[in-house]
Amino acid sequence: MTSASAENNALGPQALSRLVVVIATDRDRQAFTWLYRHYAPRLKSYFLRSGMAGNVAEELAQETMLQVWRKAALFDPAKAGAGTWIFTIARNLRVDYLRHDRIRPSGDGEMPEDEADDAPNGEALLITSEREERLRTALQTLSSEQEAIVRLSFFGDKPHMQIAQELGIPLGTVKSRVRLALAKLRAALDGDK
Amino acid sequence: MSISHHLTDETLLRYAAGTLPAGPALVVATHLESCAKCRARLLAFEAVGGALLDALPPERMEPDALARLMARIDAQEAPAPETAPRRMPDFPGDIRLPAALSACEIGPWKWAGPGVRMSRVTVPGGGESGAVLLRIGAGRRLPEHGHGALELTQVIYGSFSDIYGRYGPGDVSETDEDVDHQPVVDASGECICLAALEGQMLFKGFLGRLAQPFVRF
Ligand SMILES: [Zn+2]
Repeated sequence: MTSASAENNALGPQALSRLVVVIATDRDRQAFTWLYRHYAPRLKSYFLRSGMAGNVAEELAQETMLQVWRKAALFDPAKAGAGTWIFTIARNLRVDYLRHDRIRPSGDGEMPEDEADDAPNGEALLITSEREERLRTALQTLSSEQEAIVRLSFFGDKPHMQIAQELGIPLGTVKSRVRLALAKLRAALDGDK
Repeated sequence: MSISHHLTDETLLRYAAGTLPAGPALVVATHLESCAKCRARLLAFEAVGGALLDALPPERMEPDALARLMARIDAQEAPAPETAPRRMPDFPGDIRLPAALSACEIGPWKWAGPGVRMSRVTVPGGGESGAVLLRIGAGRRLPEHGHGALELTQVIYGSFSDIYGRYGPGDVSETDEDVDHQPVVDASGECICLAALEGQMLFKGFLGRLAQPFVRF
């Protein structure tokens, strides 16, 4: 693939979720290629930010995409968007890698999942993507300090104590920023209840 | 199961991000199994991870990366064999072991003071960070956990009470170093719970004290 094709790729969250559904139902390789071009470079970015070496980050990105192919049938568009689902696969691989210092073959380490109640449908996909869109908007309304701490919580491997030391602010301040940020984000997601 | 004690946002965020140590993460997974409310909250935090992932600047993959992955897909690699069957301590009655523990090694019940038995739970690859199953008689105080940054206790069977109320099956108690909550098992019967601390030194201290003949009650 060329970097140009990755950058021209402007698929929205709904389109990305639909690709996973098509991969599940039709084992469609073209859909997988599009999904790969969007996510593999971002997954590599995620693993690099989590402190992995370049070759490890590349390998874990590959492994994540392989699991996306294999587990596509477990994707429930009523529950989460493609980005959220793929994030959880990447996170589990990262946890596994840090615990074992190696990559376990895919297929194990699965957390229990809620069963999908119904076959994927367009309406569910729309509701999920609207909910996640509200969350993305809410993320942008966080103060830069709140946003920085949420980001560090996801990409660093650091307890809040250490984040506090690095930012030179008291632990209590970190905790209250996290609490405020989470309350805002949760309010955005709970809006549809 | 009506659950009245839940996980905090902060702990769920760390679980969603994959940054909790193995022991506390195991207690969280056990609570999530029985609690739809916390599962829904977790999903919200995972969606934050998804949003952050989508917003990351792409990093260039190796030129042949997609072709190599397609070759692996074509080769249809066999799925990994299942993990070794677990050993479980003898449980009273028909208590079901939480599924989150299925990949863990669970030691035998050991005497850990009057009315208290303990079984060590080892998370594969979890290193020093593990958890313990505690089986405590009616009216007994839970052993002092020491003071960790984070202390999680999930009730599997029976109940205990502390200054925050009563904890029955499915409830989780989450406290930190600032809290002196002194949980006591209710008089109605014995209690089994899964507990973990953050910080290996503290955890060692916890086990160390439990192994002593004079556990502080
Ligand atoms: Zn809960």
